Amino acid sequence: MVAENYLMAAFDGGSVELGTSGQTRALEQFLRGVERRALRMAEFATDSREEALDLVQDAMFGFVRHYGRHAGTEWPPLFWRVLDSRLNDWHRRQRVRGRWWFRSSTVDEDGDDPITAAPDPREPGPLARLADGEASAALEAALRRLPLRQRQAFLLRMWEGLDVADTAKAMRCSEGSVKTHLWRALANLRGELEEHR
Amino acid sequence: MNEPRNDEAWIARAAALLDESAENLDAATLSRLNQARHAAIAQPQSALRPWAFGAGLAGVAVAVLGVAVGLHRFDAPVPASVPLQAGDIDVVTSDDDTLDLYENLDFYAWLETQPGDSNG
Repeated sequence: MVAENYLMAAFDGGSVELGTSGQTRALEQFLRGVERRALRMAEFATDSREEALDLVQDAMFGFVRHYGRHAGTEWPPLFWRVLDSRLNDWHRRQRVRGRWWFRSSTVDEDGDDPITAAPDPREPGPLARLADGEASAALEAALRRLPLRQRQAFLLRMWEGLDVADTAKAMRCSEGSVKTHLWRALANLRGELEEHR
Repeated sequence: MNEPRNDEAWIARAAALLDESAENLDAATLSRLNQARHAAIAQPQSALRPWAFGAGLAGVAVAVLGVAVGLHRFDAPVPASVPLQAGDIDVVTSDDDTLDLYENLDFYAWLETQPGDSNG
C-alpha cells in the first residue's frame, strides 16, 4: 500500500547502477519506506524488539548486497523475500535450540473448520466495536498467535499490499499456497478477534 | 480458494491500526533503523560482492603467472651458444673414413669384446 511512493520518486523501473548517487537515493528511499513495517513484522514473529531490529538490519544488508542492482520495480517482493527468509531461519534456530514455544496451540495450521469459520455476511466484522487502543492490542495478540506462514501471508498481502504473485515470490511458495495461508489467516484472525467483542 | 467474505471493513481497520503502530515507534528504535539503513546502503561501496573481487584477483594472478611462464620458455638460452668440444671439431672436419668410424661405433664396440686375435 505504501511501498509505491519511493518507486515513483527515484527511478523509472530500469536497472540501477550501484555507486551512483541516484541509486543510493533510491535504495535509501525504498528502505526508509519499508523499514518500520518490516520491524513490526519481525516483532510479531520474534516477540522481541531487539531480535526484530537485528533481523531487519540483516535483511537490509542481504537485500542491498543481493538485489541492490535489480530494477527498482522488483525491490518490494525481493526485500520481503529476504526478510521472510530471515524470519524462517530465526524460527528454525529457535526450534533447534529448544526455545521455540509453539504459538499456534490455539490455532491449528491445518485443522480449522471452514464451516465454523465462515463469516456471517450481516456482521460488521471484528474490531468494529473496539476502541483503537483495545483493538490494536487485540489485533497484535491475534497476529502473534498465528502460525508464521499465515501471519506473513496476511501482513504481506493485506498490510503491505503485495498482490498474490508478489506475495508468493516473497514467501517462496505457489500462489495457491498464498491463498490457502491467507484464507486460514483471515478465518483465524476473525475467530480470535470476535472474542473481543 | 476464496477469501472469506465481509472482511474488507475489519481488514482495513487492522491495516490502519498496524500503520499507526509502525508510525509511532520510539525515537531510539527509529535511530537504530536509521543506522541500519545507512550501514546497509554504504555496503556496496566497500563490501559489495567480495567473491567478485576475489575472482578478479585470482584472474590477474593466473594471467601474470601465464605471462611469466611464457616469457621464461621463450627466453630460454639457445643451445647453439654451447661451446664446441674438440671431438666435435674432429667430426666436422674429418674425412669420410672418420665419419664411417662414428657410424659404426656399435660394430667396433662389439669387436673389442671379442677374444683377442693378433691377426685381426
